[in-house]
Amino acid sequence: MTAKRWLWASYAVALILLLVLPHAIGVMTRELIGRIFILAVFGMSYDILRGYTGIINLGHAAFFGGGTYIAGIMFTRLGTSASASLLAVALAWAFAVILALVMGQFAFRNTGAGGVLACAMITLAFGEIVRHTAETFRQFTQGADGLTFAVPVIFRDRIGMYYYALLFLVVMTLLLRQFINSPAGRVLQAIRDNEQRARFLGYDVRKYKLLALVTAALAASSAGFMFALLTRFANTDLLSVQNTLNALLFTIVGGTGTLYGAIVGTAFVQLVQSYLLELRGIHEIFARWQIFFGAIYVLVVLYMPLGMVGAFLRIKGSLAYWRTSGGNHTRAGD
Amino acid sequence: MKPLLKVDDISSFIGPFHILQGVSLEVYPGEVVVILGRNGAGKTTTLRSIVGQVPPSKGAITLDGVSLVNMPTHIAVRQGIGYVPEDYGVFDLLTVEENLALAMRQRDKPTHNRHDEVLEIFPDLRIAFRRLAMTLSGGQRQMLSIARALLNENKIILIDEPSKGLAPIVIERIQKVLLSLKKKSTIVLVEQNFALACAVGDRYYIINDGRTVLNGSIDDLIDDTALQQTHLGLMPA
Repeated sequence: MTAKRWLWASYAVALILLLVLPHAIGVMTRELIGRIFILAVFGMSYDILRGYTGIINLGHAAFFGGGTYIAGIMFTRLGTSASASLLAVALAWAFAVILALVMGQFAFRNTGAGGVLACAMITLAFGEIVRHTAETFRQFTQGADGLTFAVPVIFRDRIGMYYYALLFLVVMTLLLRQFINSPAGRVLQAIRDNEQRARFLGYDVRKYKLLALVTAALAASSAGFMFALLTRFANTDLLSVQNTLNALLFTIVGGTGTLYGAIVGTAFVQLVQSYLLELRGIHEIFARWQIFFGAIYVLVVLYMPLGMVGAFLRIKGSLAYWRTSGGNHTRAGD
Repeated sequence: MKPLLKVDDISSFIGPFHILQGVSLEVYPGEVVVILGRNGAGKTTTLRSIVGQVPPSKGAITLDGVSLVNMPTHIAVRQGIGYVPEDYGVFDLLTVEENLALAMRQRDKPTHNRHDEVLEIFPDLRIAFRRLAMTLSGGQRQMLSIARALLNENKIILIDEPSKGLAPIVIERIQKVLLSLKKKSTIVLVEQNFALACAVGDRYYIINDGRTVLNGSIDDLIDDTALQQTHLGLMPA
């Protein structure tokens, strides 16, 4: 069997396992896995920016939290009918696109040496403006206390919601993969490599960065919407910079610029977090799971700077290069 | 005959430094113009000013009658400029194939034909088609960079020090490529390697301390050792 067939066979086995899984596990684990599916899309949306375009967006949680809040507010105010749900989706996407366009207009203005830092600071400011606005309009959002809401009937069944989350992950992975492999996706990777060189080829770097931001914003907002359906709860923590850092963590642990790395990273972070919390019963110190998690994070960054998927791809690439070059690494032509 | 590219008394700053203080040059269709000068004279900055990376604060630049002054880089190069920067400008994390694909401005049939022609000129690139650019040698990276500039119907190609850091045998190959392009393209070549400059150039401009100080035909420069010594610091053979 060829390597490609092995790969497809392993995808098929994984998919079958994931389809059977919800019937073999408890409610909490099912909820956790559903959460991983949705947060993985949030992580992948961040990877489009950080890993594929070289943009550091510290306000990315505004898109995710915005999606969750818009779903919550719409379900609370307009009910859970199909038309209200569709309107909520449309509003969440419109919010994401408008915020991304406005944020990008300011964040991508500076093309000089300080551009990355300026972008990080401006996106942080936008993220904080959105969070502060949500805290101010408590009559809609309930502020830090959180907004609890009912969801449409078809999303109320927990096993059903697991499948929706899985379907969402599969569809979004395919769409985002298609995007990064498209000609526009290649331009984004060129921009990440070197903005100036992309300009020398005639590309309007700012326009392409906006495209990346809008795409990532739509994916994050959709993930936020699905998160609302899963958790039936929203609070302003979802809009905070800490939530953005979570997405960054998913991509760094899994491997930036790999797309699938965000899935692996999200699963790793969420499972370790959950496992460490369960250890509270053994000793009180495990209640402070962040200490252990911080240590694990430092170890991953130190010993796997490319992340889990990145390290795997590098080893795979080295082996393939070794095989094709017959072990001869001398570069001809120098 | 009207010049294809005209640079008229430009001044350019990099930060607080006044790098170009009066550079002028004219390039006519079908010729290879070589820009010579000592290190730090302003040769690379002249090319960067033409493509809008270092916009001039004074003076005029026109390509085929269209002013390039204050034009953003991506729009300036779309006027028909193929730019080969001194650091090759290839994208290390993309394959040779992807690097070439990115350079194609129009994905129509004629461009695809050029794609095949370019691979005929650079057979090394065909062999390394699916390899990451970071795994290429310096010579191969330079060839990839030049190949990208040839993919489009550019009016002019600006090449910045193609021999820099390369072994003599690779410079010979680059020279052959440039000679093969000579009949088909208009080229502005910044070059420190005097032998390469003389082999491919038709006319020359010498830039010193940010100013154009001399110009003429390459044949005259080859014969004038005193001039070579004074302006380029070359010792007589």
